[in-house]
Amino acid sequence: MFNKLAEPFRHQKIDLQQLEQAEDGSVDKAQRKAKNTRATVKKIWGYLAAEKWKLSFVLLMVVVSSFLALYGPYLVGMAIDDFIVTRNSGGLLRLLFGLGAVYVVHSLSVWLQNFWMIGIAQKTVYTMRTKLFRHLHKLPVPFFDKRQHGELMSRVTNDMENVSSTLNSSVIQIFSSILTLIGTLIVMLWLSGLLTLITLLIVPAMVFGMKWITKRTGKLFKIQQANLGQLNGYIQETLSGQRIVKTFSQEQKVISEFRVKNEQLREAGFWAQTISGFIPKLMNVLNNLSYAVIACVGGVLALNNMITIGVIVIFIEYARQFTRPLNDLANQFNTLLSAIAGAERVFDVLVEKVEMADEEKAAELEQLEGEVEFAGVSFSYEKDGDTVNDISFRVLPGETVALVGPTGAGKTTLINLLSRFYDPDCGSIFIDGHEIRDIKRESLRRHMAFVLQDTFLFHGTIRENIRYGRLTASDAEVEEAAKTANAHSFIMNLPRGYDTVLDQDGGGISHGQKQLLSIARALLADPKILILDEATSSIDTVTEMKIQEALVRLMKGRTSFVIAHRLNTIQKAEQIVILRDGELVERGTHRSLLGKGGFYSELYHSQWKREVPLPG
Amino acid sequence: MKTVFSFLKPYFLCIAAALFFTLTELAVELFQPLLMAKMIDDGIMTGDLGAVLALGAAMVGMSLAAFASGLLNSFYSSHVSQNMGYDMRCQLFEKIQSFAFANFSRFPASSLITRMTNDVTQIQNTVFMSLRIMLRAPLLVLGSVVMAFIVNARLALILLAVVPVLFFILVWLMKRAGKLFRAVQEKLDAVNSVMQENLAGIRVIKAFLRRKHESDRFTKASKNLRNLTVSALRWTELAMPLVLLVMNGSIIVILWFGSFEVTGGSASVGEVVAIVNYTTRMTGAMSIFSMIIMAFSRARASSQRIADVFAEEISLRDGEESDSALMIQQGTIVFDSVSFQYPETEVPVLQNISFTAERGERVAVLGATGSGKSTLFQLLPRLYDVNGGKILIDDNDIRKMKLDVLRKQIGFVPQETMLFTGTVKDNIAWGNAKATMEEIVEAAVHAQIHDTVMAFPDQYDTLLGQKGVNLSGGQKQRLAIARALVRKPKILLLDDSTSALDVKTEQKLLAALKAYSCTTLMITQKMSTTMNADTILLLEEGRLLAKGSHKQLLQDCALYQKIYHSQFEEEDSYVQ
Repeated sequence: MFNKLAEPFRHQKIDLQQLEQAEDGSVDKAQRKAKNTRATVKKIWGYLAAEKWKLSFVLLMVVVSSFLALYGPYLVGMAIDDFIVTRNSGGLLRLLFGLGAVYVVHSLSVWLQNFWMIGIAQKTVYTMRTKLFRHLHKLPVPFFDKRQHGELMSRVTNDMENVSSTLNSSVIQIFSSILTLIGTLIVMLWLSGLLTLITLLIVPAMVFGMKWITKRTGKLFKIQQANLGQLNGYIQETLSGQRIVKTFSQEQKVISEFRVKNEQLREAGFWAQTISGFIPKLMNVLNNLSYAVIACVGGVLALNNMITIGVIVIFIEYARQFTRPLNDLANQFNTLLSAIAGAERVFDVLVEKVEMADEEKAAELEQLEGEVEFAGVSFSYEKDGDTVNDISFRVLPGETVALVGPTGAGKTTLINLLSRFYDPDCGSIFIDGHEIRDIKRESLRRHMAFVLQDTFLFHGTIRENIRYGRLTASDAEVEEAAKTANAHSFIMNLPRGYDTVLDQDGGGISHGQKQLLSIARALLADPKILILDEATSSIDTVTEMKIQEALVRLMKGRTSFVIAHRLNTIQKAEQIVILRDGELVERGTHRSLLGKGGFYSELYHSQWKREVPLPG
Repeated sequence: MKTVFSFLKPYFLCIAAALFFTLTELAVELFQPLLMAKMIDDGIMTGDLGAVLALGAAMVGMSLAAFASGLLNSFYSSHVSQNMGYDMRCQLFEKIQSFAFANFSRFPASSLITRMTNDVTQIQNTVFMSLRIMLRAPLLVLGSVVMAFIVNARLALILLAVVPVLFFILVWLMKRAGKLFRAVQEKLDAVNSVMQENLAGIRVIKAFLRRKHESDRFTKASKNLRNLTVSALRWTELAMPLVLLVMNGSIIVILWFGSFEVTGGSASVGEVVAIVNYTTRMTGAMSIFSMIIMAFSRARASSQRIADVFAEEISLRDGEESDSALMIQQGTIVFDSVSFQYPETEVPVLQNISFTAERGERVAVLGATGSGKSTLFQLLPRLYDVNGGKILIDDNDIRKMKLDVLRKQIGFVPQETMLFTGTVKDNIAWGNAKATMEEIVEAAVHAQIHDTVMAFPDQYDTLLGQKGVNLSGGQKQRLAIARALVRKPKILLLDDSTSALDVKTEQKLLAALKAYSCTTLMITQKMSTTMNADTILLLEEGRLLAKGSHKQLLQDCALYQKIYHSQFEEEDSYVQ
């Protein structure tokens, strides 16, 4: 039993200094600036200020309700002294009606301030949330490659939730606390200057105590939210990899890893909550102490006939009144800190550099022929070592280029550069003679359609997923595209046809079928430049043969970039670009390359030709 | 709420301690006025300075004692709430890990995530708050009513009538708000889900320029969330003004009837004043009470959502007859007229499939897109159970084997590569936590990824991002293969796992696999791979169309010939 009772004191201490250093090491300067509490509060206030008029109304209502809260008891006193004592029931009735009116208005003003404040707070949260979301979309792809998705999601939900719950109540409370504080202070001064001074003695003590507490909680809240984010990230990742977890029977391993993260969250949460729980206790003790001191000093003063006993009694009441709003303020301050911890994590993302900041001179590209040129392009994902190095080649409008090479040679990287998911470190890419950096990204991508290596389908019906290629397409056009992509027949075999709802990861249909759908999606987009990155890798060859024709039709008149391993796709290309370790080693047509007897012909003979025994 | 209480049980002692310290604090608070009165009577009135100072010291001592209990209460309360939250998350996670796939279709990942974080936090905060002020409010209300009765029973009856009415109103509000809060959490799920999808599909969204479209979706989801939150909160915030109105109303009634009592001589003015005072005090307590009740309504909604997860019945688990001694010794696989359809669908995916794969054999599975190849694979590690027929490994029905024993001896490489955040080494060792560095490197060498890894700046300690994006598709696939090989599996399942590999690398990989004495099933589209297999299974629309060696099939099976020619004939004719 004793052991159980001792448990709360055995939590691991969190070394704030160390954590701070670790944290600082991982963020760059621009972010550290945002980690400034004052700046964060200012930003939140900026959002609130958008609702200036409503907010002033709320504050007006707070003034009204604070006043009526004091005025009510005054009327009650009047009722007793002037009417009940004098037994004047006619006058009492009149007064009671007045009192009733005061009470009704009081309740109404309390209700209205809350009613409006909730509206304002939730609108603020909504604005912040959608702003965060829009901002995320402007961020470059590398940002997403480096982050855990669940961690980012935590910012949209858990952190915003923190801000939300604070805004709902804190603004009103802080304001009404300040009002009450000022009012009481005036009355107290009027009663006794000396005792007021003594009462005010608790203020420095309070400030000191609050500093001690908030210095810790401010950081602890941040750690707690960061830990929560990490936990969220871990859950999200394991859930999306559940198939692997199951087939590898690694549930226990995952659970124990989860435990570690969960423990970290618990420890940070424990200290954040415990220490912030000190605040009301601190206020209480200061309250009680001042009570004792006032009683003592008052007693001594009364003994010396400097004040009356009545004044002491009244004074103690007022001293209580004075400390209550102080107490509230201290509490609110702490909730505010937890909200700031949440808001900071949101703003952190908002200061991330956006991708969409197109260069000043970037222009719209209305018409496109489809001529593409890579000129001395080099690029690497990490700082050291080139992923692709000094790549140059030209593609004429309507041509099909096959990018061929061993895995990791940089084929997908070239596609990433062409679509400006990444920008080259040096060299340039030209489309119709325009540097692509001079073209607005949206405008550039509008002329392209992709069938990417990882087929990603959205939660929604098959029809919606195909229509994603062109939102304005009619049902008939969607079905037409599906037919061309040879997806129509399998779709019709599904019980609900085009209205079959796909799970988030496209579960329920096979990977090959997903590829067919993403081809249909690209078909519908009707682009000038077509990019097929392993578009048919999971499609069986018979089906592929069937859609091959559709693909040929699709590629006609468009510049196409094709990454494939199958020879029959490659050999039809007007131009084959051979990559190896990030270098362009050969270029030409199937025939010319074979004749040359270089890397391609070696590849051809070793990989496609040699294993084919003659039929029969 | 039952769920919450069951989670609080282990902390019974600490809860008791927390409540004890709240009571101590409360007692001190109530004692202070008494000491004050004594000070006036015994000290000031008699002019005894010593008594004044002594009682003053007592007051100081007591406030310090209250402070100490307050701090202790903080420790206990937060210990209880944080541990409860911790336990809840752990158990939720464990429960979710035991989910079969059919269960997942009922709980989308985004919703499970909100439940484990947001909902738990909600409950955690309520518990913390309750432990600190729970006792105070009802005690204050009760105490005030009792005191009022002692002062003047007739006038106090008014209060006795009012309290139940208020209680009824609050409970009604709580029920109403509880429902709304449940809806709020569901909308939060929706926001989370759009967010998750957008993060996962960011390339597609950017590629198709659907920023606005997605933004509209998100705006809609978050607008829904906002509207519901606003209406839920507005309901709960109705409590406070209502409490004020009713309690203040009763003050008016007390004054009115009080005046008659005073006139009639059955009550003194002082008594009326006292009862009005107690009513004011109750108002304060009642508003705390309403705050608690509202927090409860929110916590209740969250706790229901958590209970839903716990209540979910696991659709696939070890049966009672499962024998933990059954291991895979040889790795002989027999499919005996297996049929299967996905739960809650009507279309059979596999029908009457029978074949045998002998120990160490290499079986290629071939078939059109959607013919049931991947489904066939999922049945072996029992991600789903068959609907008809049976699967035997070493002559034992796999349903008789323990799930984890079975799965631990199978190496599975899925079609869509999923790597985890961590280093290359971590990701390979994921397949076998006990693997030594030599074993990890060996697996990597066999999976043809070792050279690539060695070229990374940090080699095996290179960090991979979410889904391992900084690797190419083929590199990811080979890493996933290494992950499966490091288990030294008895059965290896390759689900089109070499699609992104060039043929040369693939051939090297297949040659390296010979070092493992495991039965290998591989789904493939490439003829070059099939030709190396001992047996080829050709599926068509869920049926086993043909099986046999490459030569046999080439002779007997029209579809196989067609596939063969689709891959090779064109270039033959081209070259000739």
